[in-house]
Amino acid sequence: MTTTTRRPATGTTSTMRARPSRPGRGVWPRIAVYAFLAAVTAVSLTPTVWVMSSAFKTAFQINSGSGLWPSPWTLQGFADAFTEIHLHAYFGNSVLYAVGGTTGALVAAFLAAYPLARYSFRGRNALVATFSLALAIPLVGLATPLFFVVRSLELFDSRLGLVIFYAALEFPFTFIVLRSFLLSLPGEIEEAAVMDGAGYFTIVRRIVVPLSRPAIATVCVVAFVKIWNEFYFANLLTVSADNHNVQLALAGFKSQFGFNITGALAGAVLVMLVPIGLFLILQRQVIAGLTAGAVK
Amino acid sequence: MRGPILLSLLPAVVLFSVFFAVPLVVLFGTAFTDWSGAQLAFVGLDNFARLAGDPVFVKVVGNTLFYLAASTLVQVPLGVAVGIVLATKVPGWRAFRTVLFIPFVISGAAYALIFSMFYNPRFGLLNNLLVPLGLPQRDWLYETGTARWAIAGTFVFILGFVIVVTMAEIASIPAELYEAAEVDGATGWQRETRITLPLLRNAIGTCVLVRLLADIGMFDLVFILTAGGPDDTTATLALYAYRAYLNGEWGHANAVGLVILLLGGALIVAVRRAFRVGERDR
Repeated sequence: MTTTTRRPATGTTSTMRARPSRPGRGVWPRIAVYAFLAAVTAVSLTPTVWVMSSAFKTAFQINSGSGLWPSPWTLQGFADAFTEIHLHAYFGNSVLYAVGGTTGALVAAFLAAYPLARYSFRGRNALVATFSLALAIPLVGLATPLFFVVRSLELFDSRLGLVIFYAALEFPFTFIVLRSFLLSLPGEIEEAAVMDGAGYFTIVRRIVVPLSRPAIATVCVVAFVKIWNEFYFANLLTVSADNHNVQLALAGFKSQFGFNITGALAGAVLVMLVPIGLFLILQRQVIAGLTAGAVK
Repeated sequence: MRGPILLSLLPAVVLFSVFFAVPLVVLFGTAFTDWSGAQLAFVGLDNFARLAGDPVFVKVVGNTLFYLAASTLVQVPLGVAVGIVLATKVPGWRAFRTVLFIPFVISGAAYALIFSMFYNPRFGLLNNLLVPLGLPQRDWLYETGTARWAIAGTFVFILGFVIVVTMAEIASIPAELYEAAEVDGATGWQRETRITLPLLRNAIGTCVLVRLLADIGMFDLVFILTAGGPDDTTATLALYAYRAYLNGEWGHANAVGLVILLLGGALIVAVRRAFRVGERDR
């Protein structure tokens, strides 16, 4: 028999022992648990799985409404998504917006989070509170003023404009998660570097950024997925198809139902696979980022 | 250190000022004007009086609250229940968490496309499942009786976020509490309802808050699936504001924007109070 040493809880999860994990004893509770989980999973995912499988069907099969699974299987829709719907152009734009916006948000947020976590100066708390408040604003309410500001800066219907806008849009969340991470990071190494005469930006670049890699990975994947999935402001701030992102393209696919439904569905599947794939690969970071952002 | 710190704060301050602070000031300033691009005239509370007298506005407020209620009464409780079950680490819990999280990373536009197929009156899966059971074939999104429910049905089963927040909160509950319950001979059901559930107050409040912020600005699904129809039974506040903006009635659109912000703010304060979000009780 092992003896457990009792320590007073210090408030951090790492020092606490996990709670006993014991699903319901006996057969019936167990069956009930799995029946519940299976029902919830079926309700949550059936429409999505059915539509994804439909992307491999022929238009004839879809329109006749027969059969859950493709018969025969065809990749024609995926070919059409590129040749007829020109998905690659929208993909290019979305990659640009997501990479550019994420990078911009990361740089601005990291540069601000570091001094606001490490140094105390007048107005510091007010600035932190102001930046944090942005997360509590339903931004759709600001549609017209944002359009007005973007147009005044001659950034309306421009790829660069959308990149800058997305950097701003993802800045508050990125800032809050990075700052709370930096607050939990001990400062001794930086103090030693100051003693050695290293300058402010050298310390940020050489010491703080490398130590923050886990938090940076987390905020980057979350910001990337959010920008990739963004529809409202892409619709508001661009007009020409040349500047549209994949979500605007998807919305347009609905009108394709009449003449190339398989192409539209295959395109939708490809667009969805980007965030789904990122999530499956970086599951831990995505979940950590979203829960950190929500609870902070 | 003053120089580098100021320099380091500059990009954030510029981004924040241009895209949050200035638009907020413009919103508050112009919600009381007749503004349509070129001309701008102060009209006092006229925009708000017009809103109060517009039956469509009353309808969209009701619809927005309906979607909010759907999230709060279906999505959050169901997600919390799944989170509690998965936190007991039943075999396969990791797989369930992963699979149930996938809908959360799918965009609103993609979801709109998925459900415009799912609800399709001719070849949609829903009718194909229900008609053989003797139910009538329906055009779910375009019948006034079903449209709002059909829209709510697209998002209330997106449980991933609620599940992971619930599980993270449960992981921070000290094991001692459960050991004590064990000594007292509590059943699994008693353990979850008497210990876990009350301690989830903070997590549940957080989930309701996050949903609230998303739902008050709900746009993508409705815009793409129904454009607010039929007869505005699915239209939201955000869609109403967007229509005013498209009409070039910017002052009017901003009055709606202000309503969205104030309603959102009031609901946030109410939820924070009700769930005492951010406070710890242990």
